[in-house]
Amino acid sequence: MEWMAPNLFPVAWMSVSSTYVIRLILEGLLIGVIYALMALGLTLIFSVLNIVSFAHGEFYMIGGYVVYVLLNKFKALPGPAALILAAVVTFTIGAVFERLFLQPMARGQVDRPSEYAILVTFGLSFVLQYIMLAIMGPFPKKAPRFFSFPKLDLGFLRTTRTTLFLGEIPLPGGRIFAAVIAVLALMAILYFMYRTWTGWALQAVSQDRNAAAVVGINPLNMNTLAFALGGMLAGLAGAVLVTVFSWVPWVGVPASAKSFVIIVLGGMGSIPGSLVGGLILGVVESLGTGFWPNPATAQAYRDVFGLIMFALVLLVKPTGLFGRKL
Amino acid sequence: MSRANGTLKLEIRKVVKNFGGLQALKGVSLTIEGSQLVGLIGPNGAGKTTLTNIISGLLRPTSGQIWFNGERIDTLRPYHIARKGIGRTFQVTRAFRRMTVLENMLAPGIVKHPYMSRRELEKKALEIMEFLTIDHLRYERAGNLSGGQQKLLELARLLMLDPQLIILDEPFAGVHPKLQRTIYDYIKRVREQGKAIILISHDMESIFTLSERLVVLNFGEIIADGPPEEVKNDPAVIEAYLGRDEEEEHDLRRAY
Repeated sequence: MEWMAPNLFPVAWMSVSSTYVIRLILEGLLIGVIYALMALGLTLIFSVLNIVSFAHGEFYMIGGYVVYVLLNKFKALPGPAALILAAVVTFTIGAVFERLFLQPMARGQVDRPSEYAILVTFGLSFVLQYIMLAIMGPFPKKAPRFFSFPKLDLGFLRTTRTTLFLGEIPLPGGRIFAAVIAVLALMAILYFMYRTWTGWALQAVSQDRNAAAVVGINPLNMNTLAFALGGMLAGLAGAVLVTVFSWVPWVGVPASAKSFVIIVLGGMGSIPGSLVGGLILGVVESLGTGFWPNPATAQAYRDVFGLIMFALVLLVKPTGLFGRKL
Repeated sequence: MSRANGTLKLEIRKVVKNFGGLQALKGVSLTIEGSQLVGLIGPNGAGKTTLTNIISGLLRPTSGQIWFNGERIDTLRPYHIARKGIGRTFQVTRAFRRMTVLENMLAPGIVKHPYMSRRELEKKALEIMEFLTIDHLRYERAGNLSGGQQKLLELARLLMLDPQLIILDEPFAGVHPKLQRTIYDYIKRVREQGKAIILISHDMESIFTLSERLVVLNFGEIIADGPPEEVKNDPAVIEAYLGRDEEEEHDLRRAY
């Protein structure tokens, strides 16, 4: 039995403590909120336009680069302003793209709309990736941190400039900051969807386009708005994570895959589904990585857990957690 | 303001609609002037719903034109037509099922009432819902309502845009008798408000009592048009019904 010990029962297994598990769960939730934000964008696009955007990850990538460039060029620019500009830029790209390339489909001017939607959003994805490759180059960038904790010591809750300690558990400040912004953005978008005229109109179009049209709602405008908002949410997710992760032009590819995992897990087109799905994916990834037998390779397998879950959901409950019958 | 002096005019000019090889409408012409309640009947497949879909902009006519208050509308999109004052319901009810009843009522609010405050609009919505006896359901999800209640909701939602002309496609079908009474009263009241109504129904009893004018479609053509009394004795109408659908024939007899 001795020969097995180093591989099957490595350090992580041996030293499992409740603190370690709680730490993994907290880390998972912190990143899960951002996954949820991004998936919510994809869900919004799917439910209103009835298409899956394959360029979703590129909005995430652009959002990050906007913040990176702004913070490097204009050192005096406050961080939140950079986030808002990233949102504006991604919203605009989404709106313009929808008007130019997706609107003909909604107007019935395209022969094979479902294939068209796949190709044209894939096209956008490649175009954005290569434009950014040309502008930013292939080398990883990381935006400067623009947030520091004030020094605190409340016994259980302590902070250093970069880290927050909950008892023994260290949580990196960048991620906490990103999660807080994501929660605020989620609250704003949910308020918008469920409490405003425009939100109701968007929901109406997503539930029945023709019925919405005969009560005077313009479904074409709602398409543009949904695509732009969806892109903006992905952009915001990128904008808050660019200070945490290294950024390359294809950073959106795995991010986009995660969004697909989440909306399938939560149920296509379901807003609560994308929220819960995002948190679940975050925690599953975190626990999976944390308990991977070999800590040296654990990070490399991070994306595997989501994809396993993806396959399982499709096998066991294809409609997802909150999905309706298709 | 055409609405104020009641000079509403809908002109359907030689409307033809082909679906592939099938001609659903073969040159239908019809003018509705001023507020009146026009009953539109005809056997299944006569083209009633196709005509409705063309008027409300969901379908484009193959040829022919539609004018509303001096403006050509057959080239407009459905939401434009709705904003011009034509409202409609669907044969199969189409409430926004995952929204509450009140949200269903307020969703159209985005378009027409930038000058009305939210409170005023909510008040208006509540008044309409009260009349249709669905005000107690306002926080219920529309999808949880009974079929009849969903129909009432659709009728209520329609009024939020203050349409001049309302097209009701089978409002009585599949509705509990008690709710049918409510719908009947609704039609009368809406009529009293000076709105024009096109009523499509297989319920002959109500259509003969309610209609001021009856139009009969058969195989995509208008075969009779006039006061209900005249139309129901028209040999062509009787033949169209007798020769076809037994159920409708039965309805027609019962109405006599």
